[in-house]
Amino acid sequence: MNKTFFQNWGSLVYWFLTLIAFAVGVWLVFAVVPTEETMGPIQKIFYLHLPIAFNAFLVCTVTFVCSVGYLWKKQGYWDDLAVASARVAVLLCSIVLLTGMIWGHSAWGVWWTWSPRLTFSLVLWLLYVVYLVIRPSIEEKGRRSLVCAVYGIVAYLDVPLVYLSVRLMPDIHPRSIELAPEMTWVLLYWMLPVVMMTVGLLCEGYSVQRRVSEQQNQTQYATRQTATSIHPTGELT
Amino acid sequence: MKTVLRQLWFLVAKDLQIEARSHQTLGLVTVLGILILVVLGLGLGRQELASGSSATAVLWVAYLFSGVLCFEKTMSVERQDGALAGLMLAPVDWGLLFVAKLIGNLVLLGTLVIIITAAGVLFLGFNVMAGFWPFVIITSLGMLGFAAVGTLFSAAVSSSRLAGGLLALLIFPICLPLVITSIQMLLSVFRDANEIDSSGLAILIAFDCIYLVISWLVFELLLEP
Repeated sequence: MNKTFFQNWGSLVYWFLTLIAFAVGVWLVFAVVPTEETMGPIQKIFYLHLPIAFNAFLVCTVTFVCSVGYLWKKQGYWDDLAVASARVAVLLCSIVLLTGMIWGHSAWGVWWTWSPRLTFSLVLWLLYVVYLVIRPSIEEKGRRSLVCAVYGIVAYLDVPLVYLSVRLMPDIHPRSIELAPEMTWVLLYWMLPVVMMTVGLLCEGYSVQRRVSEQQNQTQYATRQTATSIHPTGELT
Repeated sequence: MKTVLRQLWFLVAKDLQIEARSHQTLGLVTVLGILILVVLGLGLGRQELASGSSATAVLWVAYLFSGVLCFEKTMSVERQDGALAGLMLAPVDWGLLFVAKLIGNLVLLGTLVIIITAAGVLFLGFNVMAGFWPFVIITSLGMLGFAAVGTLFSAAVSSSRLAGGLLALLIFPICLPLVITSIQMLLSVFRDANEIDSSGLAILIAFDCIYLVISWLVFELLLEP
């Protein structure tokens, strides 16, 4: 009981600190860093877009590592962490796509263009959405974890492609960015709240998924026990 | 090595003999492919097709949907009368089962591509001779990666209660980088009359290698009688 109380309080404090870190980030962006001359205020979305994109790659890597871990050890917690990270990956990829679209509308006048990086980012989002969508379709738990682990490994191949697409193919995204020193510092600072948010979501997602898995295990065990206690004639033994 | 090749030959010959006797898979997927060509051809209209930019994309849509059905059928054959359980009990390396299934699927896909492309030439006015060898190279590389992923996930799906449509859901997003690269390269050859793009070719080869190695490594984990 006490443990749950402190766990809840710990989580609450963590999210409060994350919120403060975000608030400081917003203050830095609007009060400290100068407005970019060409793009205007819309350029400020970049301080959120880039750290979120970076964290999306990290979370996809977590799914990949957990998928390899599950195939290697066949332990349920690897699968639970892989699911939690895939959920966070979908969320972060959605934010990356949305912020990118807002930027694109301001910079190029269109909400969407089929440039390689945008296309492969959309494919990445689709891959992890499919990862989550197919899970409920496979009833047997071990089989589900196995298929999803294999899928998690193959899906990760898109991550280097998103990163390298700008270098390999002609794209509207710049190959490198030059920023004023204060812009660089603020951008680096924004990594802090975004990483805190990502880690928090991962931990919360993992604990929820772990509880769901334990409940499923108990239900499966109870069903098996009931099935074995019924005699072939239909009488309870 | 000789024994491995002999085992591989027997496994591939078994699949092809079953197909030659039943004509179940190829007949079905060819009809589906031609139907997709006709429906999309009617939807796009003559002017759009004459520009040369749509035909390659339409052909790829037909290849993909027919290909998924092909993978599903070739793996479902193994489920009948416990054939897969028998194969798994045989003194054959399970990785070899993947290679044999892949070769069988590639033979069927190759036949399918020839028939659907011929139908595309007929119905869509697609001038394949404008870049015949680039078309052969790009499509072959695209099909190799597609077949590797398809063979892997058809083994996963056929032994679970996943519905057929979900195989497409699994394969399509994974194959999208291959499909996008292949279509872009074909467009560059047929619409813009360019030479084959070497960076695109490198991406296709890299993807094929990665898909082949990963599929071969994890295939036996997904096998279940």
